[in-house]
Amino acid sequence: MSDRAIIHQVLSGDVEAFSRLVDRHYERCARIAVRILGNREDAEEAIQDAFLRAFKALDDYEERELFSAWLTRILVNQCRTVLARSRRRDAVFPDLDPLSFDFAVDANAGEGAWPELEHALAQLPDEQREAIVLKYGEDLTYEAMSKITGAGESALKMRVQRAFARLRAILQEVPSV
Amino acid sequence: MSEDFERRVATALRAPVSVDARAKQKVMERVRRAAQQGHPRRRLDPWSRMTRHSIVGLAFAAGIGGISTLSAILPAARSDDSRGVSSVVLGDTVVGALHDTLRLVRLMFDAPSARQVAITGDFAPSSAQATPLERDADGRRWSVTLALRDGEHRYAFVVDDTRWVPDPRAERSARGADGRLYSLLNVARAAN
Repeated sequence: MSDRAIIHQVLSGDVEAFSRLVDRHYERCARIAVRILGNREDAEEAIQDAFLRAFKALDDYEERELFSAWLTRILVNQCRTVLARSRRRDAVFPDLDPLSFDFAVDANAGEGAWPELEHALAQLPDEQREAIVLKYGEDLTYEAMSKITGAGESALKMRVQRAFARLRAILQEVPSV
Repeated sequence: MSEDFERRVATALRAPVSVDARAKQKVMERVRRAAQQGHPRRRLDPWSRMTRHSIVGLAFAAGIGGISTLSAILPAARSDDSRGVSSVVLGDTVVGALHDTLRLVRLMFDAPSARQVAITGDFAPSSAQATPLERDADGRRWSVTLALRDGEHRYAFVVDDTRWVPDPRAERSARGADGRLYSLLNVARAAN
C-alpha cells in the first residue's frame, strides 16, 4: 500500500494505520536524526516530535510531494530545534560536554561502520553536517535538499564541499590530484 | 583516492543505526493521545486541497464564535458562494467576518530558512508592536491571523528582526512616510 493510500486511511479515521508509516520511515529518520544530532536520546526526541507533528498536520500534506520528503523536512526542522536548545543549554551549563556523541559505539555496527567519521561529523558546523547527511546519507538531489532545508542549491553544494574538505582534514585524508 | 573517500563516507552514512524497538511504540502512544484530542485537524471543505490555505481563516473564525460571512474584498479576488457562507481567496490571503466591524485576516509568508517572522503595519506602528508569525508544521510557511477593521491597511513582514519584506503576494503596495515599501490590504464587507 502506498504512503498516500495510508494517509487517506488515517484521515478517514483509522489512526492505527499511521503505524505503517512509522514502521516504513522510522529507520530512515533515525539514520538522519542520529547523524545530525549525534546522540540517540536527542534523535529519538526529534523523531517522535516529527512524527507527531506530521500526524497532526496530515491534512496539510500536499500529495504532489512525496510523504518521505515532507516528513524529512519536518524532521530536519525538529533536529534544528533540538540543536538550538542544546546550544542554549550549553551556554547556561558550559561545563557540560556538548559533544556527547554516543551512536558511534554500536555493538551491532556492521559493514561501513566508521566511528572516526562519526566523531569528525560532530566537529562540522550544523549546516554542513546536515547537508552532507542528506546528500550522501540519503542520496538526495540538491533540488530535493533545497526543498527540505530551505537553502539554495548553490549554498548546499558549497556546504557539502566544505564538509568534505573539513572531514578530510580531520581524518587526515589527502585528496587526489 | 578522493572518490574512494567520498564512497566510504557515503557507505558509512548509509549504514543503518540500531533502533530501540519501543521507540516506534512510543510514537504511536503519542499519536493515539493526539487523536483523542481531535488530531489531525481536518479542513472543512474538500476543494481546499487544491486551493491551499483558503480554509484556514474559516476554521479559525469558526472556533471563535461562528461566521455569518467569510469574505475578502481584494482586487480580482475569486468568489465561491454557498448558501450563506461565501469565501474569496486571493493567493493565500483569506478574510473572514468576525462581527460587523472586525474581520479575521490570515496572512501567510514563505520563509523556510527564517528564524522568526513578524508582521508590522498601520495596526502595529512600531517594530516593538510587531506581531510574530508562527511557523507551520512543515517548516516552510509562517502565518498569523489578525482581527482588522474594514478599510485599507498597510503592512510588511520583518524577517529575523533585520529584513523588511513587503508581502510578495500582495497586488498593491505603497511607500510609507518612513520611506519603506508597504503592502496594501483592503478589508471590507462582502458585497453579497
